Amino acid sequence: MTGLLEFREKLKRIYSKSEFILTPLLKFLLAFVTLLVLNGKLGYMTKLDNIAIVLIVALMCSFLPSGCIILFAALFSLLHMYALSPETALVGLCLYLVMFLLFFRFSPRDSLVVILTPLLCVLKIPYVIPIATGLICGPASVVSVGCGICIYYLLSTIINSASTINAMGEDEATAKLRLVVDGILDNKSMMVMIAAFAITVLVVYLLRRMSVDHSWSIAMIAGILTNIVILLVGDLLYDTSLSVSSVLIGSVLALAVGKVIEFFRFCVDYSRTEKVQFEDDEYYYYVKAVPKMSVSLSTKTVKKINSQTAGQRSGRASGRNVVVERSGEGNYGSSRTGAGRGNYRSGRSVVYNGHIPDDGQDGNEDDYEELF
Amino acid sequence: MLNEERIILMTKLAAYEAGEGKQNVKIGNYFRSDYIAVQVLKSVVSASIAFALVFALYIFYDMEQFMQDLYKMDLVAFARNVLIWYGVTVVSYGVATYIICTYRYSRVRRSLKRYYHNLKKLDSLYRE
Repeated sequence: MTGLLEFREKLKRIYSKSEFILTPLLKFLLAFVTLLVLNGKLGYMTKLDNIAIVLIVALMCSFLPSGCIILFAALFSLLHMYALSPETALVGLCLYLVMFLLFFRFSPRDSLVVILTPLLCVLKIPYVIPIATGLICGPASVVSVGCGICIYYLLSTIINSASTINAMGEDEATAKLRLVVDGILDNKSMMVMIAAFAITVLVVYLLRRMSVDHSWSIAMIAGILTNIVILLVGDLLYDTSLSVSSVLIGSVLALAVGKVIEFFRFCVDYSRTEKVQFEDDEYYYYVKAVPKMSVSLSTKTVKKINSQTAGQRSGRASGRNVVVERSGEGNYGSSRTGAGRGNYRSGRSVVYNGHIPDDGQDGNEDDYEELF
Repeated sequence: MLNEERIILMTKLAAYEAGEGKQNVKIGNYFRSDYIAVQVLKSVVSASIAFALVFALYIFYDMEQFMQDLYKMDLVAFARNVLIWYGVTVVSYGVATYIICTYRYSRVRRSLKRYYHNLKKLDSLYRE
């Protein structure tokens, strides 16, 4: 466990040091993969299916707010739909606008969820989304997950109907439109999936906030079971042709991803839980404090090695002044005061010296550099 | 001399101002009734546009049938039905907005109260 905690601290340190480059890089990768998948799955507009365009747009997304990834992805999908038939693009535009006007207003920060939901559906691992969303986000993210599933089913309906739409003539505009609209509205799989994911997100969110030991693990397992049960019941009622094996494999993967998220977001040591009770003039307080697991990275930095000058050597014993900073090694402990404060304060400054400088000024300066 | 407590407090305040606080301060500048009224108004406009889009799609979906029935149907009853649906959509969305914004406003006020309390604490640390 200590090794894992050290690894986590290393990752945190690397991320905090290189955040300015890592965040744009991650955004770039997400935008790049999203646009590539869109081009690969839809790809009706051949001009857009160009790696140079994808790279330029992904590069732009890396420096723009994450909501812009949705904007460009929507634009790409609409252009592909337009190339297939303008009626399809009309349906897509209406759906996007309705989502934007009615739903995104209340959860504008969940743009990643909206992007990742259809992306993971395409990659056949959608069951990760409700668990991860319930663990990280709030109940309002249900809307974003629902919108993401709608987008996935819109795109898959268009992909499945593409050959039929192509075979239709120019004069069959309303028939094309009806084909797409019916394909979405009559899609029972979509309804079952939205219901299952929405309820799962809420179950995971509510359980993980409970004041019981291992609440996150309980929330994950309960969420996965809820998801499986609703999907199976939906399959029985509406014959959604659900693949039970893929649901089970996806659920195991979701559990694994959930445990990784738990490790990074909520790694606590229940064996050292403290329960205290106190009161003031107005209230009785029953407080349960669970310490976080944390470990300080061991570092060793030689700051300065001063050779003795001739004048100093004559006055004092010969030697070198070496200032070494070490931080605590391997023992994990609690930091109840928050913000990981304990982690940064566990280091100690040790002065190995052959002499102590006479003018305290120099010595203080070295210590000052060490501590801050 | 560096004061560690002051630095931690300043870091927390700066992180709040750069992130969540930016939006919260904007919301906190409104009176409760003004904020909710503006949001409900925006919702009415959004719901109206969304309804118009869906209605247009509905008409286009069954355009041929609609054009055939246009001269036979009771236009007043049809318009009344459309208006009822429009009213239901706008009112239900407006009510949902009202509930969400009321909750959001009270949460933001609590958050800003903590922020201003910390600001005062920082000020007192400087005066020590």
